Amino acid sequence: MKKAFHYLIILSALFFYSCNDVVQIKLDEGSKLIVIDAFVNDLREKQKIRVITSDNYFSNRAAPPVTNATVILKDLTSGQQYNFTYETDGYYTYAINAADTIAKINHSYVLNVSIDGYTYYSSCSQKRTAVLDTILAQQDNGGGFGPPSKDSSYSCLLFARDKADNNPDYYWIKTFRNDTLFNGSADINICIDGTGGVATDAPQDTIMFTPPATLLSFKTYKKFESCKVQIHSLSRENYFFFIQALAQINNGGLFATTPENVKTNIITPEGAKIKAIGRFNMASVVEQKIIVK
Amino acid sequence: MPFFQSLQLYMKFKIFILLSLLSFSFFGQDKFTISGYLKDAKNGEALIGATIYKQGSQLGASANEYGFFSLTLPKGEHIIATSLIGYKTYTFALTLDQNISRSFELSEEDRQLEEVVITAEQEDKNIKSVEMGTAKLDIKQINKIPALLGEVDIIRAIQLLPGVTTVGEGASGFNVRGGNIDQNLILLDEAPVYNSSHLFGFFSVFNPDAVKDVKLIKGGIPAQYGGRVSSILDIRMKEGNSKKMEVHGGVGTIFSRLSIEAPIIKDKMSFIIAGRRSYIDALVKPFLKSSNALKKSDFYFYDLTAKINYRINDKNTVFASGYFGRDVFGASVFGFNWGNATGTLRWNHVFNSKLFMNISSFYSNYNYYLEFKLEQLNQSFKWKSNIINYSVKPDFTYYANSKNTIRFGMQALMYDFLPYNATGQFESGSSVTFKSAKRYGIEYSVYAGNEQKLRPRLTIEYGLRVSMYEYVGKGKAYYYRDTIANEPQPLNSTQKFSNGENIKSYVNPEPRFSMNYRINSLSSVKASYNRMAQYLQLISNTAASTPLDVYTIASNNLKPLLADQGSVGYFRNFKDNMFETSVEVYYKYLQNQLDYIDNADLFINEQVEGQLLQGLGRAYGAEFYIKKNKGKLNGWISYTLSKTERLVRGISNDNWFFSRYDRTHCLNTSVNYDLTKRWNVSANFVFLSGTPATFPNSKIQIQNYNIPYNTTGVRNNYRITPYHRLDFGATYNFKKNETRRYQQSIVFSIYNVYNRRNAFSVYFRTTAGDPNQTEAVRFSVIGSIVPAVTYNFNF
Repeated sequence: MKKAFHYLIILSALFFYSCNDVVQIKLDEGSKLIVIDAFVNDLREKQKIRVITSDNYFSNRAAPPVTNATVILKDLTSGQQYNFTYETDGYYTYAINAADTIAKINHSYVLNVSIDGYTYYSSCSQKRTAVLDTILAQQDNGGGFGPPSKDSSYSCLLFARDKADNNPDYYWIKTFRNDTLFNGSADINICIDGTGGVATDAPQDTIMFTPPATLLSFKTYKKFESCKVQIHSLSRENYFFFIQALAQINNGGLFATTPENVKTNIITPEGAKIKAIGRFNMASVVEQKIIVK
Repeated sequence: MPFFQSLQLYMKFKIFILLSLLSFSFFGQDKFTISGYLKDAKNGEALIGATIYKQGSQLGASANEYGFFSLTLPKGEHIIATSLIGYKTYTFALTLDQNISRSFELSEEDRQLEEVVITAEQEDKNIKSVEMGTAKLDIKQINKIPALLGEVDIIRAIQLLPGVTTVGEGASGFNVRGGNIDQNLILLDEAPVYNSSHLFGFFSVFNPDAVKDVKLIKGGIPAQYGGRVSSILDIRMKEGNSKKMEVHGGVGTIFSRLSIEAPIIKDKMSFIIAGRRSYIDALVKPFLKSSNALKKSDFYFYDLTAKINYRINDKNTVFASGYFGRDVFGASVFGFNWGNATGTLRWNHVFNSKLFMNISSFYSNYNYYLEFKLEQLNQSFKWKSNIINYSVKPDFTYYANSKNTIRFGMQALMYDFLPYNATGQFESGSSVTFKSAKRYGIEYSVYAGNEQKLRPRLTIEYGLRVSMYEYVGKGKAYYYRDTIANEPQPLNSTQKFSNGENIKSYVNPEPRFSMNYRINSLSSVKASYNRMAQYLQLISNTAASTPLDVYTIASNNLKPLLADQGSVGYFRNFKDNMFETSVEVYYKYLQNQLDYIDNADLFINEQVEGQLLQGLGRAYGAEFYIKKNKGKLNGWISYTLSKTERLVRGISNDNWFFSRYDRTHCLNTSVNYDLTKRWNVSANFVFLSGTPATFPNSKIQIQNYNIPYNTTGVRNNYRITPYHRLDFGATYNFKKNETRRYQQSIVFSIYNVYNRRNAFSVYFRTTAGDPNQTEAVRFSVIGSIVPAVTYNFNF
């Protein structure tokens, strides 16, 4: 639902005499927090977990990395342990051999991040993802959702299915053009059971994904560009994290919500001087790529 | 079922009241009553607030909402006079040896430039009346205020009064003395209007051509009103000219309007019908590039207001009135629309010269639809929500004697509320529905109040309203376990209830009291106290209220909102009532005000009540007001100094925090000057302290998104820049053609004259093109000067 507000913001911004301009404001300095950004998935690629600290809001620099952490991911179901090693910019990585993945469906995981003698931790179990049937590219001649245009742009639509049972599934749909992720603040495309953007927690099963989730963030493509879509499974808590983050980073316009702090699923051990916040999610991913033509 | 119960209750109540009234009437027949209606000679409209009095005495009576008056005087000869500003005084000799029923038609004074007046009441009503915290705006007065895009608007006019603010342009509704927008009972011919806004709040739903009288009550609220805790905005529609046909219309920048009123049976039956339709969409579209997303979009509103009345005889009049309006907004893949519909049926009955009754029954429906769709693939996701009210409300006024006016009655009000009904439609033709069960509530109230002239200088009004609320089936009640503050409450159990079965009841006695002590003929001191109860609240965690906000009714989880307000005021007039001044101070304490846990999921959520918090509120302030009523130059200046805070467990570290609509200083000026016989010019100036806002003190980066974060947890820790604005308006009245009735005028207006970009909000975002850079952005709803021309006509 908050996603719906987002579309309203876009529309209302076009409307009337409204305007946005950048202003200079003096803000207080907040106390430092450790930020753990751990979205691990079952794709056969190098897995990354980032450990950084918070920064002053207007500090125009890369996030300050934490370089001395020990990052260990434990698979409680299989008993395996994965030690992530520091690379750069706060990223700790684990290189996967071509035959296997860290993340396995229905396995339970614990993340331990030790810094200066304190172990920050979180747990998560990996959920299933949806079935991605196809991506359909169609020319925008007024029939698509993009405006009709002379340089023949294309819209891509997602055809995907939720797996039937009575538990809600939470998805994060990532869209790439020519392998570049759309990562603008408005591009976060999440849904429950495929009924896009509507944040209900009621167990309802749908067969097909519906708009707005299927509209893939309203992007357009030129002929011969590629469109890749990944559907990542999210835990319920991480889905609601995105709902909350979406509101915080798109908070302009008439439909702005009261600012609030995003919630964390990283637990700070007792006695630690610095609090940690962040997210840990283990995702099953399904992906498909097409060439627009 | 509930209606039968209420009917029974009503019958018992009525018998009780009639018996007690009889005991009044048995006093000796040395006094008699003259009663009737006061009407406008030109169009037959009831003159609300016009007075009739015995010359040279303090004995007088004023006409009620339907123009009815009742004046009891000793037997004998009297010189009686009528009084209403702007109308000729009508004086006559009366021999009173029996009860007399007589109606009067008052003629407007010849309009002389020096005598332009902007209130339609007795000149010193503000001093004499027991009312406080009350503002009456005459539609003629509202018409002169320079308006956004040249369109006269009632809600925007209200926002110029002391104690009334808004969070900004484009926010629905208005805030009264630190109350949220859902705490205002907005009545259109007694039916509640849930969303008073068109186009997100730029215009209100009330068509000024169909409105006769607007009254805002902020304090000392009499017992006949209830159901909202902060204010009553009582809007009365015109009855329609019962003498001759009249047509009003206007062509403006944003919309056009047309109203027709005419007698059906002269002096007995008349109607008014008024409509508006915006056409900004039609005007703008040809100028948009084909790539603009608005090209394929809809954005318009329309409304229709109609009323018919039939005066059966001297004792009985019936009225039917209704409103229907909608806003439609959307683009090709996304759309939403919302609107109110209200209908009121009323019967005025005069039992005898001392007892007047009005029974109103009304229906009110507010609903909205929201939709995402992809037509060519037959995929869509739609949802809707609505709230419906049905009510019956008999109201009696008993003019016991020249010292006591007793008002009593009751109301049964039913809430029929659909939180959501959503449908997902798929290409295959199959669909899925998420539908919440409807929720029902019934509110019964009984009330009685007496306005008593205790001493020549002391008038008091006291009353009691008792409201009883039942949350009833058919439905499912949810029971939650307690948890730590600011976390969703886990569901403990649910229980099904059958049709009409009681789930939870609340009873609230609501005492009301006001007094007026007249120091002399030019000044008075007033004081009031009222307790109010409210059984529904708006669920909204947006910074400004929007049309998508959902109401929710009191339940086993949500307690009714309660407010206690006390106020004291000093009223003083100068220069033969040319200047009115007043100072009022108030203190308001609220209980069970809604707030939300962080990351609350308020839409399409069966367990939304587990995410709501209820807390305390307090608001206090001082309102200063100077108004010049007469002369070429007239208008008012008001200044309010106030503070509004909340305390909610789990929010802002359990400390009091400023509410979103706290405005420390609020200055409103509205002046009007009659330049020549044809030209009238006007200006507004407003200055408001910036609204509180929560700003971050750090950022955290997750998945490369820069998320603002406030490590102190304090809500509303900053203020955005103050809001100020100057508007000009000028009206040119074309020369009246003596032979024809056709009159026309043209209104020029400039809104935001010095082109200030007032901040509606400040938000934080990542700078485009640099993932490590973040910036603060000021959002201004109206970021430029807005000139407009409107052409008005009537005949």
